[in-house]
Amino acid sequence: MNRLRSLHGPALVLAILAVLWVVVLGGLFVLKPTALSAATMTTVLQFSTILALAALGQALVILAGGAGIDLSVGGSVSLSAILAMLALKAGMPPLLLPVACIVAGLLLGLFNGLLVTRLAILPLIATLGTFFAYSGLALALTGGAPQPGVPQWLLPWGRGTLGGVPLPFVSAALPAFVLAGIVLVFTAWGRWIYAMGFNERSARLVGIPVDRTRLILYGLSGMLAGVAGLVSLAWFGSGRPNIGQNLELESLTAAMLGGIAIFGGRGGVGGVLAAVVLLVTLKTGLLQLNVNTVWQVGIVGALLIFVLLADRLSQRWR
Amino acid sequence: MSEAFLIAKGIAKRFGGLTALSDVDLEIRAGEVLALLGDNGAGKSTFIKVLAGAHPPSEGQILVAGQPVSFASPKDAAASGIATIFQELALSENLSISENVYLGRELKQSVLGVPFLRRKEMKQRVAELLKELDAHISDPEAPVGSLSGGQRQSVAICRALNLNAKLVIMDEPTAALAVAETRKVLALIRKLAERGCAVVLISHNISDVFEVADRMVVFRRGRKVAERLRAETEPEEIVALITGAHPDVRALEKAQ
Repeated sequence: MNRLRSLHGPALVLAILAVLWVVVLGGLFVLKPTALSAATMTTVLQFSTILALAALGQALVILAGGAGIDLSVGGSVSLSAILAMLALKAGMPPLLLPVACIVAGLLLGLFNGLLVTRLAILPLIATLGTFFAYSGLALALTGGAPQPGVPQWLLPWGRGTLGGVPLPFVSAALPAFVLAGIVLVFTAWGRWIYAMGFNERSARLVGIPVDRTRLILYGLSGMLAGVAGLVSLAWFGSGRPNIGQNLELESLTAAMLGGIAIFGGRGGVGGVLAAVVLLVTLKTGLLQLNVNTVWQVGIVGALLIFVLLADRLSQRWR
Repeated sequence: MSEAFLIAKGIAKRFGGLTALSDVDLEIRAGEVLALLGDNGAGKSTFIKVLAGAHPPSEGQILVAGQPVSFASPKDAAASGIATIFQELALSENLSISENVYLGRELKQSVLGVPFLRRKEMKQRVAELLKELDAHISDPEAPVGSLSGGQRQSVAICRALNLNAKLVIMDEPTAALAVAETRKVLALIRKLAERGCAVVLISHNISDVFEVADRMVVFRRGRKVAERLRAETEPEEIVALITGAHPDVRALEKAQ
């Protein structure tokens, strides 16, 4: 306990998440030894990729404060994938599919950003609105039917692995987290995000372009959702209008579990990635054990409360 | 007295139908501590916000070093050498001292357009400044959230110095401080003036003002009603000017 007490902030979060991960794996091993294999880990990382990308955007938006939250990530993932597929159908050269997907996500994110920064709508309300708009539009445009026709050359990327690690995880999620981590820790932009997240008034007083930074972060969250949409296309070979379902809540859970303070200004992205892997491991484990999905959601919720409680207690110790 | 660093002429500020300031003339000189006094709502805070670039004046002109200027933002004012330490101090408690001192104008090493921080240099420079100010803070990497009120004031003053400010505006720097801390901050203010900085100070504490200020200006109902050198006035007179009991103020208000 003393050792735990000496850990601060990010290190504490990572330690708790690592312990929980070992507990989850241990539990799974005891209950169903056959489930614990390299193939399971590959599956976990494959499922982690989309959530990781969405959670990174979510984390950045929350970190920048101003009650920032992006409830529309799930809708953005679905709609950017669908828009790209519809553009393909309408005659866009297939080579442009990745670009179309990412740009669509970026534009959806920037629209959120404009609602929040220019029209000063509370992010919770603005992105709740666009969450319904985006996910509704994805369903309406397709009548709920998957859109086939993803070019064949994209599939090896979506389904391939490198030493047991899925390619989209290595080439998209991991670099995104590393880049975000570098920007947050080593650059002036990172300091601005932490400063405005913690005390927006003071950030404005010292001349930090708060609104522009926030707009860019919402855009970035959308763009990451677009990348997640692209991963889904390359993985499933078709655009599913409901692929982003529940992503908003799961990404939010991952960000909170990963140590991002809901009021902004505190936390790092390393914890978020660890939380994503923990969450997906837990879900996969529960699936292997044939636990009802209703229970899965409840268990994830209990985990969130446990970690928040641990964080609160660790603050009291200090 | 040296030449005026900043001259404000006929400054007025209206918010809709409300006149917060009217026709204020003021000179601020280098190396001098000028105190602005007045009751709540007298217009002192509005006036320094005009000087700081936070509010554009409705009327009037500001000259800095003889040149007319117009500030659209605190950044413009900072570019003219005017730094403001607001009441809320504008510090980020989750960042370190050196990060706060450089916040918004970090030392950067641009790599492919990405502004990487030059942490070591920032830390060194802040350590020097803290030492110069005799601030008794040993670690520039300590989070500002762990500092006392007086120490936070020194960080804010460091920030102003680091901007190479020629005029530092302070809004009630000692309002929330314990006695020893207040002494420390007043000493810092004198030190600033000795370095050739002009200091404008808002305070409700008459004894603090008499300890540190060279000149005092009293605001009442949006107007400047009096200007006194410290050597030529008494706390009682200043209080009478603030409350409006002074005959000069009565005559002035009758004339309007």
